[in-house]
Amino acid sequence: MNHRFLTARNADLIGCHQCFFPAPKTHIACTYRCPRCGARLHQRKYKSISRTWALVCAAVIFYIPANVLPITYTSSIGTQQSDTIISGVIYFFQTGSWGVAAVIFIASIFIPFAKLLILIFLLTSIQFHSVWHPKDRTRLYRLIESVGRWSMVDIFVVTTLVALVRLGAVATIQAGPAAVYFAAVVVITMLASKSFDPRLIWDVIEEDE
Amino acid sequence: MENHQIEEQAAPAKIQEKRVISIIWIVPLVALAIGGWLAFKAIHEKGPTITITFVNAEGLEAGKTKIRYRNVTVGQVEKISLTKDLSKVKVTAKLVRGIEHYLTDKTKFWVVRARVRGGSVSGLNTILSGAYIGIDPSEVGSPTTVFAGLEAPPVVTLGQPGRHFALIADTLGSLDIGAPIYYRQIQVGQVVGYGFGKDGKDVNIQIFIDAPYDRQVTNNTRFWNASGIDVNLNAQGLKVNTQSLVSIISGGVAFELPKDMLPGKAAKDGATFHLYPDHASVQEKEYTIRKRWLLLFNRSVKGLTVGAPVELYGIRVGKVTDLNLEYDDSAKHFLVPVLVTIEPERVRIVNSTDTGAVQHDKSNELLKQMVENKGLRAQLQSDNLLTGQMMINLAFFPDSPKMKLSYMDKYPVVPTVSGSFEQLQQNLGKIIEDLKKVPFSKIGYDLHSVLAEAQKTLKNFNKLTGEINNNIAPQAYRTLAELQKTLMDLQRIIGQDSSLSYNAGKSLDELTRTLEAVRELVDTINNRPQSLIFGKEGQAHE
Repeated sequence: MNHRFLTARNADLIGCHQCFFPAPKTHIACTYRCPRCGARLHQRKYKSISRTWALVCAAVIFYIPANVLPITYTSSIGTQQSDTIISGVIYFFQTGSWGVAAVIFIASIFIPFAKLLILIFLLTSIQFHSVWHPKDRTRLYRLIESVGRWSMVDIFVVTTLVALVRLGAVATIQAGPAAVYFAAVVVITMLASKSFDPRLIWDVIEEDE
Repeated sequence: MENHQIEEQAAPAKIQEKRVISIIWIVPLVALAIGGWLAFKAIHEKGPTITITFVNAEGLEAGKTKIRYRNVTVGQVEKISLTKDLSKVKVTAKLVRGIEHYLTDKTKFWVVRARVRGGSVSGLNTILSGAYIGIDPSEVGSPTTVFAGLEAPPVVTLGQPGRHFALIADTLGSLDIGAPIYYRQIQVGQVVGYGFGKDGKDVNIQIFIDAPYDRQVTNNTRFWNASGIDVNLNAQGLKVNTQSLVSIISGGVAFELPKDMLPGKAAKDGATFHLYPDHASVQEKEYTIRKRWLLLFNRSVKGLTVGAPVELYGIRVGKVTDLNLEYDDSAKHFLVPVLVTIEPERVRIVNSTDTGAVQHDKSNELLKQMVENKGLRAQLQSDNLLTGQMMINLAFFPDSPKMKLSYMDKYPVVPTVSGSFEQLQQNLGKIIEDLKKVPFSKIGYDLHSVLAEAQKTLKNFNKLTGEINNNIAPQAYRTLAELQKTLMDLQRIIGQDSSLSYNAGKSLDELTRTLEAVRELVDTINNRPQSLIFGKEGQAHE
């Protein structure tokens, strides 16, 4: 069972990240470059764990102001109002727009939070050489990879509203500081999931074996 | 072997790794720096959290309602809850940093809502924007974080230049907080508050006069209640007096310096003044000495009211202060004791060696002398025939029966006599009584028979006239006609063209000539008497 699956590494090959050319290790020994496209070759994603950690940490830090600070300033006929993401969700929920509330909640609060948690879980599991359900962990990674970009919905909504609702004294919406931090969270978590190498999940198991 | 080789080659890469790791960690470091800065800013800018209690939270919303000072947001309501006994609303609010120095027990909070009051409408903008909490910060006082919110906005805020004064009045009248204060009919201040005096017997009204008008308030300034319309109907006619339309609706106070007074020193902040009921009482001189006399009437005092004037020689010397009806059980009769207040200072004293005689303790002796020797008496008199108002007239009746000055309830009792109007009434009554005794019915009957008789006489007279008409008149007419004829004949006989007159004329001419001849003869005889014998010689000579 030593080599349950034939991997590139086992076959002494390094897959090029750019053109996916499996370059033989012997060939690239001196140059570390893809013989076909010339890109730098790495056995695994370059410093995947530490990079991901760094980005996750940054995202966690930005996640706080993104939720605490107001994301929009609404002023309509004399009323000045500032809303955070949560207060917006609560507002829609209370006014009966459950669908909208659910979309905002899932896209803006749940997904970024879940993404960070999953990344932290994956990182720690690799660092602790965990062999626990590698398939499921890979599935989790696939999930965050595919769903992560949808968090930007909130930012799109805010930017669209800011652009559309400019009725002077009647109604004006302005973006709050949280919008920037929230966008940073979304972008950084996307980069983090990008920098994470899911092959590491399996490497641990193979090494152990 | 190859594997080993690669690992060997990979080894230096690991060294490289360590250096590069630190670069990627810059990202979380930057995030940490930003987050830390935000956190620091939040903590640094965090102001005090305060609790304000209100009677109700109408228009207040947690997380939305702002606290504003001069329209600058200085805080926000965080939480609204009820107090434990459910009697009030507890509003927890977060204020901005820097305002904590102004949060003392003198600081006031109130809810700004749309309000309509007397002459002004305020807080209209809150209809659209929702209510907000107003703050009147105060640096003086002991710091606190728990406040009792005001139900109405304070009329005067701390920073406003001007002075506070207090007015003592019997009743509040139609004054309200915010009621205007006028000086020469210009609004210069407002009523700030009111309450009972210390013993609850009077009303203490706090007012605020804006600078620079506060300098007009001096120690001699008089305030009066200028509320509503002052309608005065008296001998001079109808007089309507008012300060402004606003004061008609919401009441007001006015002040001025009495005409014959010097301004005196500027009043200090917080000085107390008496609030006069109307403008007329301000213009009256202030008399400090008041003597009370009691007048006992055993007649109706209808038309006499409290405040009715007491006059001596037609000059006001005091007023009626109390009216009562008493029943003397032992004497079995009713009495009307009228308490009057006499202000002796109204009387100027001349040629006196002791100036205090009238005004001080000796006044009772003087009164005794006046009553017992000079016959000082009080009488009811009509003040206004139109309205039937009565007044007290003091007069001297030296011929009236002598009376002693008595005392009742410590008040000297001045004897009363019936007034002139009363006497007139009595006389009139007497006349009516006498008139009643006249047997009008009998007179009427007699008159009737007399009239019948007269009618009879007239009838006879009529008959006589008829007779004259029928019998005597035609005859008389004929006689008259004949008389006329006779007269005409006579005229014809003696007329100018008649023979008689012609003859008469001729005869007269003849006579004239004859007489001339006679005169000639007489003359001749006078001049020459001899001619009577010798004839007319002269004629011959000639």
